[in-house]
Amino acid sequence: MTELPSPPKPSASASAPLWRRLLPPLLAAALVAVLGIALLNPAHNATDGGPLVGKPAPEFTLTSLDGTRVSLASLRGRPVVLNFWASWCGPCREEAPLFRELSTRQSAGQGLAVIGILFQETNEQNARDFIREYALAYPSLRDPGIQTGINYGVSGIPETFFIDREGVIRHVDRGGLTRERLNVGLKKIGVPEL
Amino acid sequence: MRRVLLGGAWAVGGRLLPSALCLLLSASLALTPAQEARAEHLGRNLRCPICTGVPITESTNDISREMLREVREQVAAGRSDRQIYDYFAARYGNFVLLDPPKEGAGMLLWGAPLAALVAGGAVLWGFLGRRRAAVAANPAAVPTPDEPFDTYLAEVQRQTRPKRPQREGDQA
Repeated sequence: MTELPSPPKPSASASAPLWRRLLPPLLAAALVAVLGIALLNPAHNATDGGPLVGKPAPEFTLTSLDGTRVSLASLRGRPVVLNFWASWCGPCREEAPLFRELSTRQSAGQGLAVIGILFQETNEQNARDFIREYALAYPSLRDPGIQTGINYGVSGIPETFFIDREGVIRHVDRGGLTRERLNVGLKKIGVPEL
Repeated sequence: MRRVLLGGAWAVGGRLLPSALCLLLSASLALTPAQEARAEHLGRNLRCPICTGVPITESTNDISREMLREVREQVAAGRSDRQIYDYFAARYGNFVLLDPPKEGAGMLLWGAPLAALVAGGAVLWGFLGRRRAAVAANPAAVPTPDEPFDTYLAEVQRQTRPKRPQREGDQA
């Protein structure tokens, strides 16, 4: 790019300007291509992925709304679906029937475990009502000071982490889940699709 | 939207409330003034993840407050700036850093304009150099090869040129 053709000799003048004339449009095309790729990529990654995918899931020990202590370590060896939610969150409500359905698939031993973590829940009674309304058969944990939320890099809810048997995060999905998106995550942690 | 407006109001309103917040927090954590300044500095470079370009020190929402508390705890625990930035970047991505480290892809972003400037300068330098050399070698009104010969222009150039001993190139 920095090189210039040698001082134009009358004989070479016919060929040199050709590639020099092609260079600017080619450069422009390359820049447009890079811009296009950069613009399209975030849209593609908008709801899934993130820096924690492929990393060990951050450890936590929290208390559920009914007072039992749950730690991630105690679930090692089981695939875990971890859902950050709150009663005030609309999309959480929309995806709740899917989680109801998923919670019936849980089984002890090597089977699936579903865990909810409350994110900035302002009213625990509302959360209890939510759980009862959708008959969610899994523990929802209090997260005082959003410590676990920050540890998982959660900025908005719902956000769902799919953790495999080895305790590694295999998939993250942000925003209300659809059956298809839930199944993408389940597949990655070796759980039969819903 | 309300959050964004709040952020703006904070930015305009100065540092009174954030420092009040720090005072409130320091009651529970007891940082030295130097640590306090470090936590404030670190917090100013961490983006509130649910705002638009507002650091956590200037945002009032819960998550910013808790992130700032996390920063303060890590400062108190003696972790380096780099470790603390890495902690948040590992969870929220480099997006969370308002001033990402100038390395890797970031280096490319910072370096590319400079490289382009240097390259452009080199091209211009070469171009002007060649032109000067061409003029010095042949001050006569010989048109450059890609310029059509213009008899009128040649005449003007011949007449406006400073007087010099005649050369054969002058016969335009």
